[in-house]
Amino acid sequence: MMTGRLLKLLRWVNGLSIYGYFFFAFIYAPILLIVVFSFNANPVNMMIWEGFTFDWYRTIFGLSNKLTESALYIESSDQLYSAVKNSLLVALITTAVSTVFGTAVAVAVARFRFRLQGFYRALMFLPMIMPDIVLGIALLIFFVSLGVKLSLLTIIIGHCTFLTSYVFVVVSARIADMDESLEEASADLGADGWTTFRRVTLPMILPGVIGGALLAFIISMDDLVITYFIAGVDSTTLPVFIYGMLRRGIKPEINAIATIMLLFSIVIASIGLYLRARKK
Amino acid sequence: MNLFRSRGQRRRATLLGLLSVPTIFLAVFFLGPLTIMLVYSFLEPGLYGGVVWRFFDLNYGQILGWADTKYERFDPVYIRIFLHSVQLAAVTVILSLIVCYPAAFWVSRLPETQKNLFLFLITLPFFVSLIVRLFAWVLILRPTGFLNQALMGIGLIGEPLEIIYTDTAVIIAMVYVFIPFMFLPLYASVEKLDMSLIEASADLGATRFQTFRRIVLPMTLPGIVGGSIIVFIPSLGNFIVPSLLGGAKVVMIGNLIEQQFLSARNWPFGSALAMMVMAAILLLLLYYVRLASREAENAPAVKEAA
Repeated sequence: MMTGRLLKLLRWVNGLSIYGYFFFAFIYAPILLIVVFSFNANPVNMMIWEGFTFDWYRTIFGLSNKLTESALYIESSDQLYSAVKNSLLVALITTAVSTVFGTAVAVAVARFRFRLQGFYRALMFLPMIMPDIVLGIALLIFFVSLGVKLSLLTIIIGHCTFLTSYVFVVVSARIADMDESLEEASADLGADGWTTFRRVTLPMILPGVIGGALLAFIISMDDLVITYFIAGVDSTTLPVFIYGMLRRGIKPEINAIATIMLLFSIVIASIGLYLRARKK
Repeated sequence: MNLFRSRGQRRRATLLGLLSVPTIFLAVFFLGPLTIMLVYSFLEPGLYGGVVWRFFDLNYGQILGWADTKYERFDPVYIRIFLHSVQLAAVTVILSLIVCYPAAFWVSRLPETQKNLFLFLITLPFFVSLIVRLFAWVLILRPTGFLNQALMGIGLIGEPLEIIYTDTAVIIAMVYVFIPFMFLPLYASVEKLDMSLIEASADLGATRFQTFRRIVLPMTLPGIVGGSIIVFIPSLGNFIVPSLLGGAKVVMIGNLIEQQFLSARNWPFGSALAMMVMAAILLLLLYYVRLASREAENAPAVKEAA
């Protein structure tokens, strides 16, 4: 009887692991499909394999002129480059600003007692529960009614408003398992608030700060909805650019762009994982 | 004494230094826009896209039923689109729950190193651009896409299935995109589940279904509810997924809002629609908070421990 139950349990576990592999196949198959078909030579139907080619990569890097139709479609690689440049610029500035803001608020809420603590917690929670589209249109109305021209600056401001919260959450989690007595000791030994923060608090929360910054960078690079509403005509970012391409029609170059973006994401994610592993 | 006071003052100065700039920034660029949007939803739309600064309740009237003038009329289509969006978001939540629940159990029972690998693999898609992941599904579901080619290749179907530009396509893509959101909270509560309780329940003669309903389900409920909320919110207001995979046929409330801003140029009406979405989400969260606090009252031991 004992073996019977054991067998049943084993069968159950087996079924579960088959399901588990299916689950991960479901997650990764679509992504792999893009990578594989980015090397497909068939220009008409991207899903029928016709041979191996680097043409689509050469097109997006402006190395190939023979595909006139496709070249026309991207119009020029310059547009793509400027979108990439805009995305990087926005993400870098946004990351810097929202990391400073988020960390400052997290330290203040965790380490000080003041009347508005609850208000700040709620304020940091709000962007998390708000659908992107709501914040996007609110910012659009705000900028337009103040007569501010939509540009990279408006995108950066928009991203900072919600990414501050993400940094806050990551850093707060880190502070929560930190020893408060070290800071007290520093203060007892006569260090002023700034010195204590710089010499004691900051080094201890640094992994959280880096984690928050990485998260902010990724989300800023990837944000489509909010950017879509507050990007000016000449300040397109990469996701908005690709969204525009997709709405006009599916062309094989998008596979190549998507594959490069994938590679980029995996590199960033691995850096994050490496940092987290080193922390332990 | 003197030392103490000066330390108190220094602490106050530090607090001010930490908070002042972020506070001003968020007050102006976060709370400001939300307030203006709220105000806009009560203003009269101008003839050529602007606004007239006069109190006007017919933006909501058009949606909810009391507008009946020459220009602004109640049209049940708005409520219908709203309810349809709620329905699509709910189906997305339920499907992603069904997909993730067994997987969370599987990962939680793996040996440590494998567990970490699979947890990394489930978080990785979060780092992969949303637009790239949606593009993959456009490629798969198109009439000339991967799925149809494969099914026709093995002779299962004679002509392409019409999957893209349907509710089904939108739901598949939303489930796919939000799987990590559902998986991680679920996993957190599944991992805490005490296996000995399940064994005890089986030893005491409970059927597998009874064990699930009485032990497993209640103990993983926080993860289920948390994941569901995190998936429901971005699903409800989504407009990227329906615009790429739903085409003109599947209109969600997000698409309606986008149209008001970028083509119809009726900003007050668009603001009113956005406020409806916010109201729905706040109601949901209030309900959740009430539920959670009632739960805490019912379990005094847990409350004491916390």
